[in-house]
Amino acid sequence: MRRKSLLERIRLFGRSAIDVVAVLGRSGLFLMHALTGRGGIGGGFQLLVKQLYSVGVMSLAIIVVSGVFIGMVLSLQGFSILAKYGSEQAVGQMIALTLLRELGPVVTALLFAGRAGSALTAEIGNMKSTEQLSSLEMIGVDPLKYIVAPRLWAGFISLPLLAIIFSVVGIWGGSWVAVDWLGVYEGSFWSNMQNSVSFTDDVLNGVIKSLVFAFVVTWIAVFQGYDCEPTSEGISRATTKTVVYASLAVLGLDFILTALMFGDF
Amino acid sequence: MSVDNAYAVELKGVTFKRGSRSIFNNVDIRIPRGKVTGIMGPSGCGKTTLLRLMGAQLRPASGEVWVGGQNLPTLSRSDLFDARKQMGVLFQSGALFTDLDVFENVAFPLRVHTQLSDEMIRDIVLMKLQAVGLRGAIELMPDELSGGMKRRVALARAIALDPQILMYDEPFVGQDPIAMGVLVRLIRLLNDALGITSIVVSHDLAETASIADYIYVVGDGQVLGQGTPDELMGSDNPRIRQFMKGDPDGPVPFHFPAPNYRADLLGTR
Repeated sequence: MRRKSLLERIRLFGRSAIDVVAVLGRSGLFLMHALTGRGGIGGGFQLLVKQLYSVGVMSLAIIVVSGVFIGMVLSLQGFSILAKYGSEQAVGQMIALTLLRELGPVVTALLFAGRAGSALTAEIGNMKSTEQLSSLEMIGVDPLKYIVAPRLWAGFISLPLLAIIFSVVGIWGGSWVAVDWLGVYEGSFWSNMQNSVSFTDDVLNGVIKSLVFAFVVTWIAVFQGYDCEPTSEGISRATTKTVVYASLAVLGLDFILTALMFGDF
Repeated sequence: MSVDNAYAVELKGVTFKRGSRSIFNNVDIRIPRGKVTGIMGPSGCGKTTLLRLMGAQLRPASGEVWVGGQNLPTLSRSDLFDARKQMGVLFQSGALFTDLDVFENVAFPLRVHTQLSDEMIRDIVLMKLQAVGLRGAIELMPDELSGGMKRRVALARAIALDPQILMYDEPFVGQDPIAMGVLVRLIRLLNDALGITSIVVSHDLAETASIADYIYVVGDGQVLGQGTPDELMGSDNPRIRQFMKGDPDGPVPFHFPAPNYRADLLGTR
């Protein structure tokens, strides 16, 4: 294989940078057209409800099951660590804070990207490859309003609710292991949790995080579907990109948001 | 106002590029109103691209695309969607909405663009499906239809709003002789009965020539020739003659450019 000259490498790097900027520009315009301006059609609420069902309700099972198991594991791990310091009664507050501040929003967003995000990308990509999006355009219906906008709003609404459900069932799973199995006193478990969890600092910050994740994950998912190459290989590549980009974006943003919300500086 | 009323669509000096590759160079095409116009040419010459330029799904690098008195590339996004209500397109795959049954597919343009009652929409959908012979398939889903039936349902949907211009993208590809005969008859019948302008993009010579009033032959990014089917059959232009007679070799070579055959076989190139 021919070795690339330095000039060639610089040229390729420049080309990649231009491609990245072009994609960012396209995705920004895509979002702006989808969410603003006239051209919406009747029945928008029905479209939203339909998408809330397929994006939100259909993700419930994986969120509930994952939430219960993560709460149970947190309880087991927390108990074994806290027991060394004789603080096992604090396991309730540890589970609640961990879930509300971090694991609830982050794991829900990662699961959402894998289940609903990939499905959104594949669905829109498939519509593109079968000319359904072109067909909508020629009927005089803007696919950004009819196809993309309801899915964007559905993701934006569903994910924070799913994150709250995740945290609630996680705390329930944790209490089941700690109280019913490991014998932590029920009164201390719940009262410690009540005393240490702040609504604004913990619950609200967690919800704000999941709102940001919802926006980013759904945006990436619908854009990748809309922008993909309309072939089976192109759709497959776009679906993979959705999961990878969305997961990395969630983890990166989580660090930034955590630093802003909980960092003392 | 730059458009002549005798023409439903006018392309003036249109140049279109993909990256640095030029697909069309300064092309002029005028589609006569109320006629069936064929746009023909070998596979890959950009016929579908031309159709997408007429529907403003693609924007030319330069030139004007006039439809219904409007230069489409200059319109705003929302005005463009309004302008497209006067056009209907039959896509190669049919492009039916897979989550809707036949009835809802045909009713879709009526539901989004009109305030008609459900009873009225039902009557119009039944009439459109009757016109394409598929009134009995009203409850079927797209995956229960054959390729030919899908195109007929798509045709019923394309005429749901009574457009002034109907565009067909390779309507005869992959059709059995019966389905092809039905489509050929329908295109001519709808054009004459509804008084619309039809644009048929195809490389199927016999079928297109049998219904077209006028034909453009495109290739190499230009209009190679134009005229009635009979005029083109008698053309002196060797490229048009090769295409119209279906000769395997001629100005469009049978072989893709390659090095010397003997040298290639002997491995001495």
